[in-house]
Amino acid sequence: MKINRNIIKSLLLVFLFPLAIGAQNANEIFRAAGSPHNPKVQISFNRYYTSEGLAALGKKIAAAHPNLVKRQSIGKSAKGLDIWMLAITNYKKGKADRKPGFYLDGNIHSNEIQGGEISIYTAWYLTENFNDNEYITKMLNDRVFYIVPTINPDARNNFMKEPNSGSSPRSGMIALDDDRDGLFDEDGYDDINGDGSITRMRRKSDHGDFIVDPQDPRKMIQLGPDDIVTTQRYEYLGSEGIDNDGDGRINEDTHGYYDPNRDWGWKWQPDYIQRGAYKHPFSLPETRAVADFVLAHPNIAGAQSFHNSGGMILRGPGAEEDLATYNRADIRIYDAIGKKGEKMLPGYRYLTVYKDLYSVFGGELDWFYGSRGIYTFTNEIFSSFAYYKDKNGGRDQIYDFDKELLMNDAFTPWAEFNHPTYGKIEVGGFKKNIGRATPGFMLEEEAHRNMAFTFYHAYHMPNLSIADISEKKLSGGLKEVTVTIKNDRLMPTHASQDLKYNISRPDYVSISGANVVAGMLVTDADFNVTQEQKVNPAKMRIRNIPGNGVIKVRWIVKGNSKFTVTVDSEKGGLITKRSN
Amino acid sequence: MFNKKQMLPIFLGALICFTSLQISAQSDYSNYSKLSQKIKNLQSSYSSLSKLEEITTTVGGHKIWALTLSRGNADNKPAIAIVSGVSGKHILGPEMAVNIAENILKNHADALDKTTFYIFPNMSPNATENYFSSVKHYNNGNAKNTDDDRDGDVNEDPFDDLNKDGMITMMRIEDVTGDYIKLKEDERILVKADKNKGELGKYKLISEGIDNDKDGKFNEDGKGGIQFNKNFSFNYPYFKPGAGEHPLSEKENRALLDYLYEKWNIFSIITLGPENNLSNPLKYNAGGAKKRVVTSILKDDAALNKFLSGKYNKITGTKDAPVSTGKGGDFFQWSYFHFGKLALSTPGWWVPKVKDSAKKSAKNKYVNYLNWAKKENISNAFVDWTSANHPDFPNQKVEVGGISPYKMSNPPFSMVADISKKHTDFILEIAKMQPNITLQNLKTESVSKGLSRVTVDVHNSGLLPTHTEMGKRSRWLRKIKVELKLNKNQEVISGQKITLVTSIDGDSSQQFTWLIKGSGNVVLEAGTSHTGSDSTTINLK
Repeated sequence: MKINRNIIKSLLLVFLFPLAIGAQNANEIFRAAGSPHNPKVQISFNRYYTSEGLAALGKKIAAAHPNLVKRQSIGKSAKGLDIWMLAITNYKKGKADRKPGFYLDGNIHSNEIQGGEISIYTAWYLTENFNDNEYITKMLNDRVFYIVPTINPDARNNFMKEPNSGSSPRSGMIALDDDRDGLFDEDGYDDINGDGSITRMRRKSDHGDFIVDPQDPRKMIQLGPDDIVTTQRYEYLGSEGIDNDGDGRINEDTHGYYDPNRDWGWKWQPDYIQRGAYKHPFSLPETRAVADFVLAHPNIAGAQSFHNSGGMILRGPGAEEDLATYNRADIRIYDAIGKKGEKMLPGYRYLTVYKDLYSVFGGELDWFYGSRGIYTFTNEIFSSFAYYKDKNGGRDQIYDFDKELLMNDAFTPWAEFNHPTYGKIEVGGFKKNIGRATPGFMLEEEAHRNMAFTFYHAYHMPNLSIADISEKKLSGGLKEVTVTIKNDRLMPTHASQDLKYNISRPDYVSISGANVVAGMLVTDADFNVTQEQKVNPAKMRIRNIPGNGVIKVRWIVKGNSKFTVTVDSEKGGLITKRSN
Repeated sequence: MFNKKQMLPIFLGALICFTSLQISAQSDYSNYSKLSQKIKNLQSSYSSLSKLEEITTTVGGHKIWALTLSRGNADNKPAIAIVSGVSGKHILGPEMAVNIAENILKNHADALDKTTFYIFPNMSPNATENYFSSVKHYNNGNAKNTDDDRDGDVNEDPFDDLNKDGMITMMRIEDVTGDYIKLKEDERILVKADKNKGELGKYKLISEGIDNDKDGKFNEDGKGGIQFNKNFSFNYPYFKPGAGEHPLSEKENRALLDYLYEKWNIFSIITLGPENNLSNPLKYNAGGAKKRVVTSILKDDAALNKFLSGKYNKITGTKDAPVSTGKGGDFFQWSYFHFGKLALSTPGWWVPKVKDSAKKSAKNKYVNYLNWAKKENISNAFVDWTSANHPDFPNQKVEVGGISPYKMSNPPFSMVADISKKHTDFILEIAKMQPNITLQNLKTESVSKGLSRVTVDVHNSGLLPTHTEMGKRSRWLRKIKVELKLNKNQEVISGQKITLVTSIDGDSSQQFTWLIKGSGNVVLEAGTSHTGSDSTTINLK
């Protein structure tokens, strides 16, 4: 008996322990506006998580909210890690995959890590606020979120665990021959000072163009042609590394190199045109997994991907050559959401990739929109604005910020080393977790504001209702039934790109239980202008239900039976209504 | 008792007899299973010179074969890839590819010492089977379910064999709203009426079938599938029937590319398919070549194409080929524009021009075909128009007929052996010209005690350049690596230990000089996977 009781006790402990440390005594807490005050899952949002860390957090969230989260692997990475997706909605209401869907991912570029935490924050916020907050509750009743915190788990880990700079690796982990010498990844970076980051190499040189700033030894000052120099000159020697393969060059074939955001199947171009392209569209297992998932989920109407950095809300087209794809009707919707984003995300600008950034083929947002007709943004998280909330801060404020707010945590001081080629050198500089990755104390705010932006976007996916069913008696036992279907959000059920190429099937508006004689779309109710559908009128095929608008469908039916109207839209959802 | 050694030749002899008997008995093209058997027999008859791999199984359950021909290490020699069955219409391709493999193995095995051949006989097995089906019809797609007209319904309006002749041809409907009239030259043929010539349309011309889904369009969504030759990334036809939802969506397309991308030794890809840059070389267009997204063959490559086209026309003795440069999403253009290899393509056969007594040939290609078929005594070239009842045209005169499917794009089977032989000769000529890096004129001088000057010409003794102009840009062709392998006590004083050379033209060379300190032997190597390589030992003075 005693033994049994102990087993039960310890079992209880095992099951309860995660919750027990998660929740806090209600007496000890006062809710801060807009944040879950006593979440089931406790997560620190002032640090970053490895791929395993993100996977573990997703698992915890799913376990704590079984009626709100289904967790699945949408595929394996090149190195065999699962790509985890959290499908979040109120599973007790409606069929999940028939609700308008919002797709969200992070970390396509290995070093651009914040998307992972923003995704987890979003999943956490949705689940912990459900039933506490009406906006969130409605959101999960009517919509489904497909959240993939990292679509690049291999190289996320490489960035965090192996020596890298803030800008490496952008690539995934499949070895490639960058210098076309027949060898793969044979000359990567070398962490000479052993600080886990790839910083810079400099050398004292009588002919160098730099001196050390006498007021801040971390900083180098570039010399002008007329400067008179009375102190030691230096030259920069590039990123930390040695000539591993003896070919007279340093770091010329590092891990990768390809760019997963040049691998998407819309106007894809090969590497010689679009640097970073791999073999062919969706030649990477990670992007293919996403594409296959999206193709299998035609309910996805909005999408968001998170990158860093620069403080940007980006829309396509990526390439100037693709300008014609984005037409005016859709740009108006992009503009409305993007401009709202500028307000919600201080320091961020709403921009168009090809003209404000660079002209690029094979990007994720272009495939989502061009190929699937899904309104999609990419946010470039973090900019130097954040250091002192100042647009005019200049480049050097990172030095002050490191000293004044990070207590010198982000800089490895210069130190002397012997280099096999360069001789006596000095190595030092900013670590990989500063410059692009948001510093810890700001990360939760960054995540929250970006999440709120995606909520605004998701809110404006189509939201359909049957606003009115009216009946009018005609002679000869016939009756005219007119149904008004309303979409009270910004997005139509078919983007104009979708309509141009019939990407999604038409919306079906059907009537059952009535003897249908004829069916028509009413294009002008006042002047009674209609378009008859001669074949199968009980199932009207409607090309589009516009944003913030209505459509009217009319049937001529025989008899006086009760009937049911169903609206079945891939991106707008499935609704029904009985006649009175 | 026979011992095993005695048995083997008898067994082999029997096998060869059996296969050759089978070939000589053949009177029509091989279907998927027959061709697969032929490939397997060929491989087992020449097992030391060949290797057979399945690179994938299609959604329709067909295996895609890769047959490698080589003597010794296949991946170490410059290689030519031969890809056929790119279009289901072109049933000549798979047959030719297997014949070419057999010709090389049987009669030209010496070529395999220096060149490897990777042969992919049929990339569209689901589509080519339509030729052998009980209702012969064109359909280039694989077995994937597709919504060809993008209306939300799948396969709701296929062809229908109205006259039950086992073929899908055309229908003509007498109707003043139609756009077609009979061609004066041959009234069996219909052409569009030309208003500017005062002609009024009298017929509708539609493919044979019923408007099953009553949408006003005929046969627009049958078992379409996705077409191998529409699913590649160059100039991909987005949202067009048969193209798929994105480039490279299909297993067989990806499997082929994944295979080719691993074979760094491939310098040329020969497509046996509808595109043709061998009869008529591609033309250089400065505008298209200088754009960011290149759409024209580059200048040097155009010159090379012209030279090789001359060879082709001479060796195969062919002429009058229709111009066909690729419609987008096709394999041939991919192999050049996106892969950068020496890309060559030919259908192998087309309808020859038939001249009348005044030495003129018909302008209309169908009339020319019918003239040729008559001359060659080809039966059933045309299905004569016969009346049919049609539910969609209840009170109109409907006739079914037209040119028999497949016959215009494939020769009678009796011609296939000769076509295959001529194309084998051409392909072997390409192999003879392949890039070949050698070290020439090696000179070692003593500059001072323990200091030597080494000079060498890295020479491409092949007629073809090591890299096409496009290939110089492509990351999928390696550079020529010139490397000194030094010992510990040796040091390069002047020159690079490793140099990467972008390209060396045919019959051209690049000279290298080094000053090397030390004594003893140094190994010098030059070349890369697709150019062949050479090495020599230098004795330092």
